[in-house]
Amino acid sequence: MAKTVLKMILNGKPVERLVSFDDTLLDALREDLGLTGTKKGCGKGECGACTIIMNGKAVNSCIVPALQAMDAAVETIEGIGTVEKLHPLQETFVDYGAIQCGFCTPGMIMSAKALLDKNVVPSREEIKEAIAGNVCRCTGYLKIEEAIMAAAEMMQSQQGK
Amino acid sequence: MKKTSIVGKNVRKLDSVEKAMGAATFTTDISLPHMLYGKVLRSPYPHAKIINIDTSEAEKHPGVEAVVCYKNTPRVKFNTSATSTFTIPPLQPVEDQYVFDSVVRYVGDEVAAVAAESMEIAEQAIKLIKVEYEELPAVFDPLEAMKTEAPLLHGQCKEGRNIPGEKIHMEMGDVEKGFEEADEVFEHTFKLPVQKQAQMETQAAVAKVGVDGRVTIWSTTQTPHPSQRILATIFGLPYSKVRVLNPPYIGGGFGVRIGLSAKAEPIAMALAMQAKKPVKVVYDRKEDFIASDTRHSGYVTVKTGVKKDGTFTARKMRGLLNAGAYCSWSAETPGVLGAMGLSVYRCANQMYDGHSVYTNTTPGGAMRGFGNPQAMFAIESQVDIIAEKLGLDPLDIRMKNMMKPGDQWVLPYKCQSSGLEECIKKGAAAINWDCRGKVEKGSTKKRGIGVGIGSHVSNAWPFCGDYSNAYITIHQDGSVLLATGVPDMGTGTITTLAQMAAETLGISFDKVSVTFADTESTPFDIGSHASRTCYASGIAVVAAANDAKKQILQYAAKKMEVEEEELQIENNNVLAINNPEKQLPLNKVAVDAHLEGQQFIGVGKIVPENAPPWLAHFAEVEVDTETGKVKVVKLVAAHDVGKAIHPQIVEGQLHGGLAQGIGYALSEEIKYNDKGQQLNDGFHKYMLPTAVDIPELEAIIVEAAEPSHPFGVKGVGETGLVATAPAIANAIFNAIGIRFFEIPITEEKVYKALLNKENE
Repeated sequence: MAKTVLKMILNGKPVERLVSFDDTLLDALREDLGLTGTKKGCGKGECGACTIIMNGKAVNSCIVPALQAMDAAVETIEGIGTVEKLHPLQETFVDYGAIQCGFCTPGMIMSAKALLDKNVVPSREEIKEAIAGNVCRCTGYLKIEEAIMAAAEMMQSQQGK
Repeated sequence: MKKTSIVGKNVRKLDSVEKAMGAATFTTDISLPHMLYGKVLRSPYPHAKIINIDTSEAEKHPGVEAVVCYKNTPRVKFNTSATSTFTIPPLQPVEDQYVFDSVVRYVGDEVAAVAAESMEIAEQAIKLIKVEYEELPAVFDPLEAMKTEAPLLHGQCKEGRNIPGEKIHMEMGDVEKGFEEADEVFEHTFKLPVQKQAQMETQAAVAKVGVDGRVTIWSTTQTPHPSQRILATIFGLPYSKVRVLNPPYIGGGFGVRIGLSAKAEPIAMALAMQAKKPVKVVYDRKEDFIASDTRHSGYVTVKTGVKKDGTFTARKMRGLLNAGAYCSWSAETPGVLGAMGLSVYRCANQMYDGHSVYTNTTPGGAMRGFGNPQAMFAIESQVDIIAEKLGLDPLDIRMKNMMKPGDQWVLPYKCQSSGLEECIKKGAAAINWDCRGKVEKGSTKKRGIGVGIGSHVSNAWPFCGDYSNAYITIHQDGSVLLATGVPDMGTGTITTLAQMAAETLGISFDKVSVTFADTESTPFDIGSHASRTCYASGIAVVAAANDAKKQILQYAAKKMEVEEEELQIENNNVLAINNPEKQLPLNKVAVDAHLEGQQFIGVGKIVPENAPPWLAHFAEVEVDTETGKVKVVKLVAAHDVGKAIHPQIVEGQLHGGLAQGIGYALSEEIKYNDKGQQLNDGFHKYMLPTAVDIPELEAIIVEAAEPSHPFGVKGVGETGLVATAPAIANAIFNAIGIRFFEIPITEEKVYKALLNKENE
């Protein structure tokens, strides 16, 4: 299979990897770049476990061809916070009990981040809409929505400073 | 109960930061040097004999390193479910599966598998396997499968045509006499759908065979220890040579892998043994839907005798479940269905008969609630029918008949505590029960309120064997390693067990680490199922902690020249109860003991009793009479959990159960066409609730302490969906006056029923 060099800005750093034309962005992230935080739940863009942010938009990386990310800015769960300084969404997902099995969590957080990056005062409906494509089978979504609301408030006060 | 400082607090969950950062490892994340990728060839037919299978082309395909089918894998029968490892004699486990067989019994059944350098090559290679099938007659409905003309799936069964295991019969009092005493007798049959666990991580395993023959299996199992035994038995290895572990996280379970993860483990193992390289098998979502256990569909019939004042005089139940093509949990589920169904209401005369029936469909197995949601949809719908007919308030008839501690029931353990009355009262207040029927009804959108109550278990006994072990090791710095065999599939197990350990030992929570779900580093435990971890594994952890504590105090007593009985551990210090100035830090005690050649190692070995948790669910719905769409407006779940070790985790369990209950009531179902093909085989076609479908949820925790647990705990893992579907169905009746005897209550069914009602 012919391979091409994929160049992108991944979590703020330029990376280059040889990928095949039929590789998905999810394959490239998980298999070639070792970023297994992004999960594969269905491979068909139906569950949102593979959600990442590409050029500011939340996308299902399992149905994005890897080469479509050429020169793009790509953010994954590994790039948004550190143990010392978690992203507000990571902080609130932990504190509000929004995480059970954790398999949907990275995708869920990335969908929420794409929303909050543009809108730090979202309504409950906007939050539901933003994560409508992310299936969670454990939590019933309530604590996830509460966590996103709380993260939005944290980000508002951070921006206010 | 003694005041606690860690138990009952929402401490930061031990797994949550890793998971929030994408740093937590799941089976699907594992990658090993030289690892191969396995892919399974599955049957396109619901029932067929394999006349010939030619794997030579696949074997020659570049990059392929192993091909397995029935010809080169062990001819050892097993059951994928853990039941085979703890069925108590005289009952015998039903072992009716091979890794691969020469007969396929449902669409999706395993035919062969390939291991190759990449998934692409493995996918190409399975297409090169030539299989010649002879189609056999197939049967899809359990009622049809019992008829004499139905094909036999597994030869003659001793209890009847296509009936796996033993028929279940339970009886107390004199049912016929009870019906004679009744003023009215009600009998209804309810039809239940196939529901899918749809856990987020599909079935997966990675197998590695060492040069010394020892095998390591990382997998998604909910029961590493029983799975070790199943795998060792299939491949004829000493148990000690097979290590099964979670890596350490599992992307959900809900019962789908109590035992093996469908066949991911034995297939990965067979391929790895042949290829002599590690092999990873990950089911794709379609495989997970069609080729791993589902909740049992079937029929439940309830006949109840009632006095005019609402007193139940007799109840007779029958459960008939669709086992699917292999037994899995089909011998046990009808028993739990009956036992739970007969244990919510006090009634002197009760009888239950139930069993499963093999058909050529995906196997039915364990799913959250394990027969209980099927039972309670039927019973709680009927109790509402009775209340309506007798002109009684649905709450009053429930309060009048509900089981209370000391009442006689069919179960071999006692009901020692119940907060059910408090659950009903608090739940009713939260849903505004007093407004029921008084809600202003719009012309096309009708509102209604409904209730359902229930109970469940806190471990698996007496339906199968149940016991737990735990180790507590005190390190020389006074920190603690807890070893428990149970997984944490997202239910918060390791956090709550660590809380109980820290509380018992008198140390701070951050000093406890947990090793779990690994047959090599932990003692035997039957695993995470039956709402048992906080209860049964918790009792073992407390026993281990008490054992370690006793050793610490014995040693410290000598050092401090104080009687052992007068010592206590608080805040990481050993101190004299009546003279708190006299104290030694635990780390000093531990390191001193070490220098004298002693480590404090606590062992907990327990056989649990059992305890019923109690629950009342309330639903408010709005039915659009123009479209038939049912919108759940609010759900309230009031649960007596005995003691909430971590209230936030308890709420999370209830919310999750409620969401699955909404799906069970209104939208989730796997249907089949006449060729035995599953029509709902992915998230796009299987309608589970998403964030936009979730109404206002209210979880109410009631704590009627359970005497058989050191902290008063009862099970909560499964209870959240036990009575959700009937509460919703009863609310729909309250809204539009139409009773549904079949779930899911889809838009289409409601619309048709509304049309029929208009035409009447």
